Amino acid sequence: MNVISDMDMFTLDPITVEVIRRRLVAIADGVDLNVSRTAFSPYIYEYKDYAVAIVDAEGALICQCTGGIPIFVADVMSAAVRDGLEIYADEGIERGDVIITNYSGTLGQHLNNVAMYTPIFSETTIIGFMVVVMHWVDVGGKQIGSISLDATEIFQEGIQFRSVKLHRRGIRVEDIYRIIQYNTRLPTSVMGDIESQVGGCLMGRDEVEGLIARYGVSIYRRAIQAIWTNSETAVRKAIAAIPDGEYRAETFLDNDGLTSDEPLRLAVRVIIAGDEFTLDLSGVAPQAISPINSGVSGGGQTVARLGFRYLLVPDGDVNEGTFRPLRLVLPPGTLVSADDKAPMGSYNVPLPSLVDLIIKALTAVLPDRTAAGHFGTFSTLSITGKRDKSSALFQCHDSGFGGWGALSDADGPGPFRTMCHGDTRLIPIEVQEATYPLIIEEFGLRQDSGGAGKHRGGLGLKRVYKALGPCTARTRFDRTKFPPWGLNGGHSGAPGSVEVHASTGGKTDGLRGNLMLKEGDRLVVCTGGGGGFGDPAQRDRGAVRNDVERGYVSEEAARDVYGFTRS
Amino acid sequence: MGVVMAVDIGGTFTDLVLFDPRLMSMQFVKRPTTYDDFGKAIVQCIEAIDVEMGDVLHVKHGTTLVINALLQRRGAKLALVTTAGFRDVLEIGRGNRMKPFDLRFRRDPPLISREFRFEVDERMSASGEVLHALDMGQLEDIADRLQAHDIDAVAISFLHAYKNPAHEQAARDFLSARLPGCYICAGSDLSREWHEYERTATAAANAFVGPAVTGYVRRLDKTLADHDFEGSLILMGSHGGVISQERACAEPIALVESGPVGGCIGAAAFGRRLGLESLICFDMGGTTAKCALIHDGEYDVETTYYVGGEATGFPIRGNVVDILEVGVGGGSIAFLGDDGRLNVGPKSAGSSPGPICYDRGGTEPSVTDANLVLSRINPAGFLNGDMPLNLRRAREGVNETFGGYFTEGPDDIHTIAAAGILELANLTMATAIKQISIARGHDPRDFALFCIGGGGPLHGVDLARELHIPKVIIPPEPGNFSAIGMLMADAKIVSSRTDVMVLDDAALPRIHALFCELEDKTRASLQTEFGGQECLLERQLEVRYQGQKHVMKIALQPDDTSKMLFARFETAYRRRYGHNHQNSKIEAVSLISTGWSEIKKPQLETLVAEPVEVQKALRRSVYSLSARQHVDAAVYDRYALPVGFSASGPALIEEYGSTTFVGERDTFQIGHFGEIEIECHL
Repeated sequence: MNVISDMDMFTLDPITVEVIRRRLVAIADGVDLNVSRTAFSPYIYEYKDYAVAIVDAEGALICQCTGGIPIFVADVMSAAVRDGLEIYADEGIERGDVIITNYSGTLGQHLNNVAMYTPIFSETTIIGFMVVVMHWVDVGGKQIGSISLDATEIFQEGIQFRSVKLHRRGIRVEDIYRIIQYNTRLPTSVMGDIESQVGGCLMGRDEVEGLIARYGVSIYRRAIQAIWTNSETAVRKAIAAIPDGEYRAETFLDNDGLTSDEPLRLAVRVIIAGDEFTLDLSGVAPQAISPINSGVSGGGQTVARLGFRYLLVPDGDVNEGTFRPLRLVLPPGTLVSADDKAPMGSYNVPLPSLVDLIIKALTAVLPDRTAAGHFGTFSTLSITGKRDKSSALFQCHDSGFGGWGALSDADGPGPFRTMCHGDTRLIPIEVQEATYPLIIEEFGLRQDSGGAGKHRGGLGLKRVYKALGPCTARTRFDRTKFPPWGLNGGHSGAPGSVEVHASTGGKTDGLRGNLMLKEGDRLVVCTGGGGGFGDPAQRDRGAVRNDVERGYVSEEAARDVYGFTRS
Repeated sequence: MGVVMAVDIGGTFTDLVLFDPRLMSMQFVKRPTTYDDFGKAIVQCIEAIDVEMGDVLHVKHGTTLVINALLQRRGAKLALVTTAGFRDVLEIGRGNRMKPFDLRFRRDPPLISREFRFEVDERMSASGEVLHALDMGQLEDIADRLQAHDIDAVAISFLHAYKNPAHEQAARDFLSARLPGCYICAGSDLSREWHEYERTATAAANAFVGPAVTGYVRRLDKTLADHDFEGSLILMGSHGGVISQERACAEPIALVESGPVGGCIGAAAFGRRLGLESLICFDMGGTTAKCALIHDGEYDVETTYYVGGEATGFPIRGNVVDILEVGVGGGSIAFLGDDGRLNVGPKSAGSSPGPICYDRGGTEPSVTDANLVLSRINPAGFLNGDMPLNLRRAREGVNETFGGYFTEGPDDIHTIAAAGILELANLTMATAIKQISIARGHDPRDFALFCIGGGGPLHGVDLARELHIPKVIIPPEPGNFSAIGMLMADAKIVSSRTDVMVLDDAALPRIHALFCELEDKTRASLQTEFGGQECLLERQLEVRYQGQKHVMKIALQPDDTSKMLFARFETAYRRRYGHNHQNSKIEAVSLISTGWSEIKKPQLETLVAEPVEVQKALRRSVYSLSARQHVDAAVYDRYALPVGFSASGPALIEEYGSTTFVGERDTFQIGHFGEIEIECHL
């Protein structure tokens, strides 16, 4: 009577497929809720620096939790499982085993990111794995938090675990726990977070096993195949609609931030052939001496998948099927395919610009789906000091929100954080002033920072801090020599800047490094704006008038760039 | 005297409930909502029932006017006056993107565009000291410009005004005198909590709807007076209590969730009487489903509410019953998307054309059609048979939409498809319930599911099974329950203050002194607005570990020591986050004072009607999602079931406007207040 109990049928009806898919997503989201509820450190429960995934027995992605930060869209979770399958090929993986890895040769991100997974069984067969990857707040290394500006080898950045069993058949392997505990400066937080990570893996495993028991392995497997096929078909259709061809874009990072002021090349080549999308990152600069490197999985693949999603799958979830038409050409030894000795603390530095380049490359053929360049740099800023000699060190993290690129039919949005971020929030000024010895004298949109165009780029922010006592500002801004690009005749956005205005007079620039502030000194921080789209002369005159009236554009810029004078 | 009336204006119907304490009786009436003049439907309702308006003490009114005006952006011509250097706070917001892969993501534009955001030189420090005096000369110029632009409402919001509102108050008084007829409000009059963006957005929203709400309330008051009403018109506040007309006009933003809170108040009253510690109130209507948690007879109140949703909307600071709403209701349409996936909602057939089975031109299958196809609704019994449903068309509609997607053609494709539609609708609703329970540190298994609205009773047991909830409760009149809940509401004033301090014994006298200040004001306001009844007061603190951002609310009793507060905080923290921090101090961030004054209300016993003559139960074959097949169910008329009746499922219990489904492994009984209590078994 029931169609889904008919084992001879090759395909499942779309309704059963969707019910199973939604149940799987609900399981991943449920694990997400539980991890964020039980984790110990704010990194996890406030910044959501983790992700949850269900993969099949070979590591292929079935689904991911809906929230979490975009950078984890990469295949780091699948890569982790594949490494484990290889390592444990002889010994085998049993029910109740919990495996961890943060090995740079596999994950290719800073060592704080640790993937953990446990097998999902049906009777004696492994059907898949439940994976939780999480940022551990400290894994040792030369600096607290394990991320320094000047590490030159991965070994200065902490301890590595390459596919080791944290639990064996449901029993904690205390040796490993002890190694972890005595290799972190923040054992309470890290050990607490690990509990929530293990809890999440086991809870998800039980629920997926329950789901498989309810529908049977055969229907479960066919549903997964159908989920993949549906996603693959939809995305192939979207790729096929793009004219075949080779599309290129490039820009440069300012420098490596440590030893030289030479710009570093970032280049992408996208090849569309039928319904296949190939990304060639061979043109990216060689791996650096400073910690701005990433491995193939954490770097190149991450960039490829992020760009692919922005262009082709902006809504909804993704899985193995989504990425089947995506190929990556990436020789070893670049910034995003560094070897396993390269330092990776600030692995994210080149990533937002690379993602943006993929979008740029396709503008000629997909003008309605792309945007001009966004400010493209993490614009890291943290201010540390002491209120007075006896008080504890304060740390004010206030990294930049900048303008995003104009679209073919609308002005650029923002200020937001970069394309590698999502639900990350500004700290209210009232909270900052009540917490740190700082007065914020100005906080607003930065006039003329959005690239001019028929559609204007989003504006950057200007913020002026006045120090009420001595403190140190640490910054890492980029993309100032090669600012966020305009498209189709649109102008580039204004790059970011950091200046110290001393109370005694005199200005110092400080895009990268440590800046000492004395009482009364001002720190003036501007973030970049987004690029414009189309010829500014074609901008609707009413829109230019509005921009001037609202102060987004100065009268001079309106006259000089847009050819507009108030009549 | 002493008659109390509640009026709930909904999207489709205006509901009126009347309680007469002398007769201990209730009357219900429904009329289609009149969009040109909401008062018309109210008058029609009044004319349709048996009431002497001169006997009515209070008319309690819940309205969606404020939220609709904000969502549709229909409001005053508005300006902002703010601290120099900070006019963009309203536009920048918090800079978060909740749709991470969307290049086009942007928030709804601010209520006030940049050229109408005026800056004035003034500055308070974080501790409330004047760093720069308010520049009255500049304010004078701004007043001229506001006049020149024909501005009809002004929001004033200055940095740190939560700490020291002197500048805001001076500016408010000055502009009020200078611009007569202009609606003026200061952020610190609405919220004394920190976070400048949230407070500024609140002031802007309040000023935006101020003129319209004032006009509406005054007109309605006059209409009622014209119909011989001599009592007071009071309004349902989003915080779950009623507020006076004057307060509603000064703080219209307090009405933002005025409509949906009724159900929560009623559920809380039931929970208290039934002695149930924890309830999840689940209300499923035509286009959406809403859920809220209730502990010890109290619903949770949140201090931030998002107009237009958290993803792209803007926040409001206030006290709003914590209700989560999802776009699934009886009218939600099921369709296959371009990606080949089945979707249910948020698109809704609404009341026109409505589901296919209404026979009013609907062609896309909805949740109601799926329930009908699976025999969970009686086609001849809908609204007492006033509205026959077309089962044949519903079945054809499901077949037409989904038949082509089955490679083989079993004869009951419509059954499988309809069951899938219900499963997906239930999954969406279950996810919402998880978000308000698990995400807040509660285990749904500790709760009873309290189901109201037209669809709540039909989906209750399946949701309960999905969430492992052991008990489902259906109160009498689930379809009218929101208006009944309003009848139960007391007058309520909530005021809060942000004042960050280490929570030690030395801080307690200062905290209590601040509370006394807040309470004197609350007591005086309740007396002026509602007369001389006794005033109940409650103290709460928002507390956090020093150095952390997020806070937890804990109760404060007069003789608490800091040690007791610490223990209370740690218990709450452990429940929410699963652990405690060692060697950490705690600090108080905000004080919250709540004052209540009782309003005459019905006893729940009034809701139990005398059972009509007992008929033998009928039987019908009904699809059960848990059995994944049709089961032979008993069909009861709810009005025929006496208190104390009990039976096993599978069963359907039918009444006007709703049907309750009881699964094949469940049992149910009729409780003391006429409620259906279902024991759910996995």
